[in-house]
Amino acid sequence: MTTPIRQCPVSHADFGTNTEIYGHYAMLDAEREADRFRFNDTTDRGFLMLQRYDDVVEGFQHHDVWTTEVRSAINPEPGVPLLPQDLNGEAHAKLRRVLNPFFSPAAVRRMEPMAHQRCVELIEELRPKGSCDFVAEFAIRYPTDLFLALLGLPVSDGEFFLPWSETVFAGFFGEDPAKVAAAKNNIMEYFDKAVRERRANPRDPKEDMVSRLIEARIDGEPISHEDILTICLTLMLAGLDTTRSALGYIYAHLAHNDADRQAIIDHPDLAPKAVEEFLRMYPLVFQAGREVQEATEFHGVDLRPGDVVWLGIAQANRDPRKFPEPDRFVLDRRGANQHIAFGAGPHRCLGMHLARLELAIVLREWHKRIPHYRIKEGTELVERGGQLTLTTLPLEWEV
Amino acid sequence: MRISIEPNRCMGHGRCYAVAADLLSDDEQGFVAECGQTLDVPEHLRDQAREAADACPESAISLLEATAADA
Ligand code: SF4
Repeated sequence: MTTPIRQCPVSHADFGTNTEIYGHYAMLDAEREADRFRFNDTTDRGFLMLQRYDDVVEGFQHHDVWTTEVRSAINPEPGVPLLPQDLNGEAHAKLRRVLNPFFSPAAVRRMEPMAHQRCVELIEELRPKGSCDFVAEFAIRYPTDLFLALLGLPVSDGEFFLPWSETVFAGFFGEDPAKVAAAKNNIMEYFDKAVRERRANPRDPKEDMVSRLIEARIDGEPISHEDILTICLTLMLAGLDTTRSALGYIYAHLAHNDADRQAIIDHPDLAPKAVEEFLRMYPLVFQAGREVQEATEFHGVDLRPGDVVWLGIAQANRDPRKFPEPDRFVLDRRGANQHIAFGAGPHRCLGMHLARLELAIVLREWHKRIPHYRIKEGTELVERGGQLTLTTLPLEWEV
Repeated sequence: MRISIEPNRCMGHGRCYAVAADLLSDDEQGFVAECGQTLDVPEHLRDQAREAADACPESAISLLEATAADA
């Protein structure tokens, strides 16, 4: 027997609002344990929630008929075009083949010296101060600088670039559309100048991503200028907020858990393992959306074209059926690598290898220089809904 | 023991070659270079093979235990 989706059990949980830290994980865990599937009615279109690990992974693998026409179940009409996310099927695969080589582990290894240098510079700048807002003064500056360097742009441009990207990003969570459009225009103009400059003075397309995008041919055709700008915008939106957020949760955890911090101080080589377990435990993009293109029956639920599906990434990563004692940080967790913080299927995060490298470098270098720190007394940690991030994380240490 | 990697499932997460570096390697695009192949797993790399299979979020990796006929 099959059931249509707009039927009990219905969830009225609104995941778009701010809560205290970990508030969303508590809500997500409760929803998952209450029922295997739930229809959520908090948005105009509503969505069917897939919440358990096996279901969520299977959902990602339905990419031929569940497409990224909707990218977020919470905000199915975000307005800002993204590439390659907006493409599906062969068109998506072809553009990914152009981009993949810049984000493969080998390419990422080439970026390591630069990432390392920038990370150490930023830490050394903060260390003598004895305190900082880790979110604003480190966790967002570091990925922004690396993103600019990746595109071959001056790192100092981060100063004016950052407020623009924050505004566009806020557009996904209800910021005033006129403000978002203005910020987006500023960014597009900035990229436009950079790409034109590169057309005039091409660099090695193996090393320089913009030159590669200019030179690449898909079915014999160059990528349009506008699409190149959209790709740059997408990489920025995808890489900056997420890295900042991951760092915020990691450092909030380590400031509170002395034994876990000591393990990283004593064994810096374990940083990549720690990163995996942190990604499992604290995924920031806690859901992905998909739009159903063909009538589908999913384990007894009937879906119709136009229905929205919620792929519960965080619910899968914290599913006790898959990861026993999901709330515990277990450095040696068996199968921790199978987490899906970066999604799954063909749209899985392009920047995953870069993100892993960036995070591991921070863990190693920070703890070498500032091994012990605490959260400033009396701080209330607030997490933004929609896509999780800590709004502030004031840290203090002895100098 | 043999290990095989299903090409239609591999999405290039790179977890397999990260945990089984002596058995598997990455290609230019970040996919596992041994995609579509079936390899014999040397005795001393069996644990790595198991870890690789455990690590793939797409379940692209299967292990085939050697049967008596293989021996
Ligand atoms: S972990 Fe799985 S998806 Fe990733 S490269 Fe290996 S086989 Fe492919």
